Amino acid sequence: MNVAAPLARRPLGCLKTSFRQARQQQKMFSSTSRRRMATAVETTPSSSSTPSSSSILPPLKFQKIVDRRTRTLRTAFAVYPSTTPGLAPPPPNPMPALDEAQIKRMDPTGARTALFAKTRDAARVGDVLMVTHRRGGEPFAGVCLSIRRQGIDTAILLRNHLGKVGVEMWFKIYNKNVAGIEIVKRRKKRARRARLTYMRKPKHDMGSVEDLVFAWKKARKVYATGKGGAAKAGGKKAKGGPAAAAKKK
Amino acid sequence: MSIPRLPVVRCWRQLSSSGLPKLATRSLSTTPSLSVKYGWSTQSKHFRPTRFNQVTAGLPAPTTGPAAALKRKAQSTPIRAGVLAIKKGMTAFMGRTGARIPCTVLQLDRVQTLLNKTRKDHGYWAVQVGLGARDPSNITAPMLGYYEAKGVAPKEILAEFRVRDEKGLLPIGVELKPDWFYIGQRVDVRSNSRGQGFAGGMKRHGFAGQEASHGNSKNHRTIGSAGPSQGSGSRVLPGKKMPGRMGNERVTVQNLPILMIDNDLGIVVVKGAVAGPKGAIVKIQDAVKKPPPPQEFVDKTLKTLEERFPDADARLQAARGKHLELKAARREKRLNEILTGNWEPTEEQAKMVEQALAMDEANEEQQVRA
Repeated sequence: MNVAAPLARRPLGCLKTSFRQARQQQKMFSSTSRRRMATAVETTPSSSSTPSSSSILPPLKFQKIVDRRTRTLRTAFAVYPSTTPGLAPPPPNPMPALDEAQIKRMDPTGARTALFAKTRDAARVGDVLMVTHRRGGEPFAGVCLSIRRQGIDTAILLRNHLGKVGVEMWFKIYNKNVAGIEIVKRRKKRARRARLTYMRKPKHDMGSVEDLVFAWKKARKVYATGKGGAAKAGGKKAKGGPAAAAKKK
Repeated sequence: MSIPRLPVVRCWRQLSSSGLPKLATRSLSTTPSLSVKYGWSTQSKHFRPTRFNQVTAGLPAPTTGPAAALKRKAQSTPIRAGVLAIKKGMTAFMGRTGARIPCTVLQLDRVQTLLNKTRKDHGYWAVQVGLGARDPSNITAPMLGYYEAKGVAPKEILAEFRVRDEKGLLPIGVELKPDWFYIGQRVDVRSNSRGQGFAGGMKRHGFAGQEASHGNSKNHRTIGSAGPSQGSGSRVLPGKKMPGRMGNERVTVQNLPILMIDNDLGIVVVKGAVAGPKGAIVKIQDAVKKPPPPQEFVDKTLKTLEERFPDADARLQAARGKHLELKAARREKRLNEILTGNWEPTEEQAKMVEQALAMDEANEEQQVRA
C-alpha cells in the first residue's frame, strides 16, 4: 500500500502539527539542562535510584499480595507510612480537651466547677440553692432535684413554689448569665437517689423555700455586719464554701 | 432620416398596467436564498467560512453541553476545595455575652490532597481529598498502586470537591488542617443521615394516618388510598410516597457558621446539628449561598500550605518515579529482587522512567501554557 496516500489526503495542517510535535520532542530529549536519571547513574554508579527521591520520600514498606491458591507472591506495592513527623493523627477523642478549654475560659477561678464537683463540701441534690441571674431581676431559689453533669453543658434543676404553683428551672452552671449560685440550706441526710423526681409528688413536695431563703439572708446579714459573731453553723458553711467564690464572679 | 414611429399609447399602457409592478416584484425575491433547512448564520451572505464549527463561524455560544454547563454552574461552585471530617459529637458553645449555642464537633484526621481533576482531562475542576488511614491489607491492588504513585499512605476514604476553576487546585500530598477555614466563616456540611430502616408512611412522609375509633378496624397507621380508580387510569402514579427505607441519604446543611477551630485537636466546631451519628464522615466546604472567603484569606491559606509542605511537588515527582520503577519490575516479574533489596535498575530502565517523567513534565507545561 502507498504509505504517503493517507498523508496526502489529509489537509496540510495535520502535517504541520506532526512536525511541530516532532520538533518539540527533539527539543525535549536533547536538552542537556534537564536532570536525567541516566546521567545520575553514570556519575554515581553505586546509587540505585535517584538520590533526591530517597531523601524526600519517607521510608516505605512493601505490601505483599499472595495468591491464595498457589501460596506464591503475586505482586507487591510500596506503602508509605500513614504517620510521619509532619503528619500525625489528632487525639482520638477531642471532646474532653474541648470541654476543659471551654470550662477554663468560662470559669477561670474554678469556683463553679468546685461547687458541683463530687466532693464533700460541694452542692448535692436535695440542697436548697439560690441562683442569681444576670438578666432576670430576682434570684431564683429552689431545691435541687438533679445535677446533669455534661462538661461545659452541666446544668442543675431547681424546684420551688411561686404562688402555690410548682415551678422548675434548669440553669447551665457555666453560663455567663448565671452570676452566682449559693447554697441556702443543705439537706440533712444524703439523698439516696441521683434525681429526686419523687419530690414532685404531693407527699414529698417541699413547697415554697421562701422562708428558708429569708432565714438564710437574715443570718448572712447578721454575719456580714459582724453583730452575731457566732453565727449559725449552717450560715457559716454556706458563706465559707465554694458557693461564696461562685458569687464573686 | 426618419425616426420610426413608436406605438406610444400601447407601449405606455402595457408598462403601466402590468410591466412595472412585475419588474418590482422580480427584484425582491419571494423565496429565501438560504433555506433554514441547510443551517443558518448571522454572518453576511457573502461570508465564506474556512472552517466549520469554529469560534469564528459566527454561531452563538451553545447553551447546552459541558462547557455551557460548567459556565452555568460556576456561580454555585465554591472557589476552594473542602475537607473531609469525622463527626465527634455535639456540645455547647458558651458565648461571652451569655449565649449558649449548640454546636457539632468535626475532626480532621490527616486530610490530604491526592488528585487535581482538570477540565481538560476529566471535564471539570475538582480536588480529590483523602481522610484517615487504612490498613494496607484491606486495600485492593489497583488502589495500592494509586497510593504508591501519589506517595501517600492508603486513606480511609476518598472524596472529591468540585472547584470553580484551576485557581482552586492544590498541590498534591499536602495536609489540610482546620485553619483551612476561619472563625465565623459559613460552610456547607454534607453527610449521610442515620438509617431508620423500613418506615411507614406516617414516619417517613408525615402522613396523618387514620382515626383511632369511629369504627376503624386495624387501619390506624396505613397510608390509605394510593390514588384514584377507574377514570384516572387505575394505576399508581410514579413517585407515589409509600413506606420504605428511610434515612441513610445524603443531607446538606447549608450556611453553618464556624465557631471554633483548633489545629492541635484537629477540630472544626460548627453551629447547630449535622446529619448522621457520631463517627459519620462529613464533607465541609465553603458555603455556596454566601460570598466566598476573602481573597487575602485564600492567599494566606495557600501560602501556609506552601510553607508547611515546601517539597510537595518534588515529593510527588519522586514518588511517581519510584512507582514507574516498581511498575516495570512488577511487569517483568522481578519482585523478589526488589523485596530483598539487591535490585538496581539498569541504564535502559532508568532511561525509560526518565522519559516517562519528562513526558509528564512536558504535558504539564503544555497545560500551563493552555
